[in-house]
Amino acid sequence: MIIERARIKSNRQLAHQIWEMQFEAPNIAREYMGSGQFINILTVDDWNHPLRRPMSIASSEDGCVSIIYKIFGDMTRELTQKKSGETLELLGPLGNIFSKWDNGSYPILIGGGVGLAPILNLKQACDNNKIVYTMIIGARSGNEHFIKHDPGKNIYLTTDDGSMGEEGTVMVPLERLVKINKNAFIFACGPEPMLRAVKEFAVNNDIQAQLSVESYMGCGIGFCQGCVIRRKISKIQSHSYHEKYSLVCMDGPVYNATDINFG
Amino acid sequence: MQRTSTLANLTIHIGNTSFENPIWVASGTFGYGTEAPELVDVNQLGAIVTKSITRQPREGNPPPRIVETASGMINSIGLANIGVEKYIKDLLQIYEGLSTKIIMNIAGTDIREYVEIMEMVESVSSVIAGYEINISCPNVKKGGMEFGVDCEMTAKLTETLRGITERLLIMKLSPNVSDIVSIGMSAENAGADAVSAINTVVGMSINAKTGMSDIFTTYGGLSGPAIKPIGLAAVHKLYQQLSIPIIGIGGIVSGEDAVEYMLAGATAVQVGTANYRDPGISENIIDSLKNILNESNRNEAADLIGSVQTHL
Repeated sequence: MIIERARIKSNRQLAHQIWEMQFEAPNIAREYMGSGQFINILTVDDWNHPLRRPMSIASSEDGCVSIIYKIFGDMTRELTQKKSGETLELLGPLGNIFSKWDNGSYPILIGGGVGLAPILNLKQACDNNKIVYTMIIGARSGNEHFIKHDPGKNIYLTTDDGSMGEEGTVMVPLERLVKINKNAFIFACGPEPMLRAVKEFAVNNDIQAQLSVESYMGCGIGFCQGCVIRRKISKIQSHSYHEKYSLVCMDGPVYNATDINFG
Repeated sequence: MQRTSTLANLTIHIGNTSFENPIWVASGTFGYGTEAPELVDVNQLGAIVTKSITRQPREGNPPPRIVETASGMINSIGLANIGVEKYIKDLLQIYEGLSTKIIMNIAGTDIREYVEIMEMVESVSSVIAGYEINISCPNVKKGGMEFGVDCEMTAKLTETLRGITERLLIMKLSPNVSDIVSIGMSAENAGADAVSAINTVVGMSINAKTGMSDIFTTYGGLSGPAIKPIGLAAVHKLYQQLSIPIIGIGGIVSGEDAVEYMLAGATAVQVGTANYRDPGISENIIDSLKNILNESNRNEAADLIGSVQTHL
């Protein structure tokens, strides 16, 4: 992990309240290991907001890394005002990665809300390695989507209000499509209700799944012990003190669906 | 930040122990000091106060454990820690290889637990420079809080531990009391080498949209720049009445903040919440402190201690 003051290469709106920012961050890009890893961004230099904001890396190439962020509050709104050429201080790359997506199984990539950053990243990795996959992206409404609903290319969009793609949650196409591929392996990132549903479905149907979870973080490097998730298994991981909780910043953010419990 | 010459002498003394500089990192904000070697040279620090250790390992509280607030944050970690046996087995040998001083923070629910932990460490280690006794964690039921709000209990605990160790004994004081000075006096009279102040301030955060409390345990400990004025006042009041050194804690993010605490009466300071944002910030604070001393033609950091001018 490195702290790097990175030049903003671009900052643009992709869809309703969803933005993409690209950084020139050669040192972080060099250490980057794969989809799932994140950076912790210092969004303001003053101390009115003391903590960094963790954001999943959506792409990494040619010494650049990008994030996809959703406007949630003051700090993310502040980010939209940043212009290319300005700099932000990044800490990263942090966390673990999706694995086994290239082991011969059939990846089903599921992203919801702003959680699609590592999923788009994993899609790119699959494309680069000529691995066939299905991708399902969920949103509340069509104006939050910025890629095309394209079942011919195994890309499915869903919206809660039915304004684009299939109506309903990501579970609608997932439950249908998973039956077609006996060798399915689910990779998902998104808000907790979505991950909860995906986890339950995967566990009940004995389908392998890796979930990248969100957590409120104080530091991203194991100092504060704040970002824990309930752990289901009792295997001790290196950066958490005990069996009951796992430290998302160090042991995660990617977990096997069978290893964690939501709330 | 510009590196400057090292004209000013930053050495400070507490009890019979000298520290190369007065900038320490606070317990619970820096893990066990081994987490981020890429981001901070711990040997530059005046001391590392390691995360609170209890007799048995502790899981800590359920999430959510932290939330950012205006110029600060609230935490309720609940003393998640590896327990004293693992501390002795895994960490002491690592500390042998460091040149910075290690202060072990201990937490317990009764006097016997504090005693047991300290005796276990005393029997094996010479690497620990001293102990900071957590009598003031707001986030654990029976987390030592009853010691920290009661003069008699503070005195009894201090006296008992004084009988076990000749190393530095620092009692960490809570701001969540009606009279922090009387607790500090009790610690001093019972044989403490120093007091550190302040621990976090009890606080609460609510999400207006959801109507939910942000922290699982409802209340947590407020830290960060938001509590600096509370910390400064506590240190200044303690300095008026105590003769043992005071270690200032609360919202220190810059060299100026460290100077302010020393002017108020602190012999050393601990950097806390700022470590979450920048693990290397204490190195910057040390450089900045040197700069400030050099620019004001002061030779000794220790000359700052308690020299604030007040209007009264």
